Amino acid sequence: MARSPFLPAGLAGLLLAALALAMPAAAESVIELAAARAGVFHHLDASGRRALAVAGERVGLVWEDNRDGAPACHFASKTTAETGFREFRFGTGECFEPAIAADGADAFLLIWEDETGVQAARAGANGIGAATRLAPAGGQGAIIRHPEQGVIAVWSAPDGRWRRLWRARLDDAGDGGLIARAAAPVDPQPARDDQAYPTLAVAGPERHLVLVWEDRRPGHTVIFASRSADAAAWSAPARVSRNPTGAQPGGLGRGTGAMRPAIAAFGARLAVVWLDKRDFLSGYDVYAAFSDDGGASFGDDLKVQDSFGDAIAQWHAAVAGNPRGDLRVVWSDDRDGNADLWLNRPAGTAFGDDFTLPEVSGPAHQADPAIALDDAGNLHLAWLERDAGGATRLRYLRRPASGGD
Amino acid sequence: MILRAIFAHIAALFALILSAPTLADPPAGYPFLDHDAGLRLARAENRPILLYFGRYGCAWCDHTNRKTFVDPGLKKLLSEHYALIYADAESGRRIRLASGERVTEAELGTRLGAFATPLFVFMSPAGELIAKIPGYKTVDDFLAYDRYVRGGHHREKSLAEFLAGKP
Repeated sequence: MARSPFLPAGLAGLLLAALALAMPAAAESVIELAAARAGVFHHLDASGRRALAVAGERVGLVWEDNRDGAPACHFASKTTAETGFREFRFGTGECFEPAIAADGADAFLLIWEDETGVQAARAGANGIGAATRLAPAGGQGAIIRHPEQGVIAVWSAPDGRWRRLWRARLDDAGDGGLIARAAAPVDPQPARDDQAYPTLAVAGPERHLVLVWEDRRPGHTVIFASRSADAAAWSAPARVSRNPTGAQPGGLGRGTGAMRPAIAAFGARLAVVWLDKRDFLSGYDVYAAFSDDGGASFGDDLKVQDSFGDAIAQWHAAVAGNPRGDLRVVWSDDRDGNADLWLNRPAGTAFGDDFTLPEVSGPAHQADPAIALDDAGNLHLAWLERDAGGATRLRYLRRPASGGD
Repeated sequence: MILRAIFAHIAALFALILSAPTLADPPAGYPFLDHDAGLRLARAENRPILLYFGRYGCAWCDHTNRKTFVDPGLKKLLSEHYALIYADAESGRRIRLASGERVTEAELGTRLGAFATPLFVFMSPAGELIAKIPGYKTVDDFLAYDRYVRGGHHREKSLAEFLAGKP
């Protein structure tokens, strides 16, 4: 650092530090992981929108694209200090809906669907470890490492007429890989309708595993939760979303929709967000519910977006939290005429005003966000930009915690 | 021997029915297909497409099914002249768009800008958009849409302009 010729070094340092604190921190440069190419489509479609994770100083991202002619899964990672991502392909044949979770200080867990079924593996700076197969069919997987219970995976797979949620524990193999144990249904009661899009968190002082998913057993789509202390016995499924169940006058329909839940622990609390169609005239809205008892119960539903988003549809809601208690919700909507990413955070007992960031808004079409918050509160976002012809590019941004976002 | 063969065929048919992905809430008695099968039919037989974008449990879809799609004349007209596609607004079923992109039926709602169900989308046999019509519609509404689509008026005017002319 250059020293001022007019000030003692210590005083100059103090002034610079004060200046840095007073000025809002700018985002690091946006990194384009995959450029737009005609006929190539990228997707960030992880169950729970868990396509982005931070493990210590390393960020990891998974996505699917068809650059080689067929859908394939990709993993990329970098440390904070590195300027570019290092990328690896994974999966056998066509691969869909990869999801990621942090695994310790510098590694990740991956789960995905490919031609062989549902698979999982560890990943790190040097690539992907050996895959272990969880099921011969299914998808929409989620994976997490519990501090005592080890690695737990859940997914949705056909079981007769309906899709049903399954879970398995994965043991650490001696070579750094994973070995899947036998799978079992999450809910021992036979499915009465589809169970889909599961996602997991560890929450509360007793570190319960908390699972949320979308479920059609009431005759329409709602959000359910279940929790477990040992990853083997799970509580009876309990309703999280209060989107109304029941027919309209005249005996019409069975209830409004709620879909695509995402979950995040923040401090000692837990947040679930989802897309909710209870206001059926303006598309899906972003709703949330909090738990203060480690997922044993959830409070009343809260609408996340502010009134400026009420008249239009919201899509692709995702949520991230960290141990110090930060929470951010992100989604895309086109209130300004084209799709932008919008964010919100808790304010008291509700949510605050929606806000966006210059890097994720403006004339382009920005949508399909994935989000993570690291332990220091730095915001990590990945998203897709889509051009008029439909071609997409994949982008990533890290925004320092002091940016006030 | 013949009886055994018949039973085997019946068993195979039941197995197919049980294993095939079901469409969530299409109107009864119509030959609605899933997205990809509907696109193939449209191209093979050069039929325009009517895509019914519904939602599992949707009250206004139910109303439309009970009040409009029960009409035998409309059923005959749509079944004979259109490739009928049903898509579920919340489904994770994977489909292939006309562009070649693979997305879920729920993501199709994002691309269509769907804000309410039912949403009726008329498309050319190649999958090009002709008109998007949200909400409950009557038999007469659908007859007018048919005149607009199969009469080729969409090449010259918008649906609103066509309907304003009281066709």
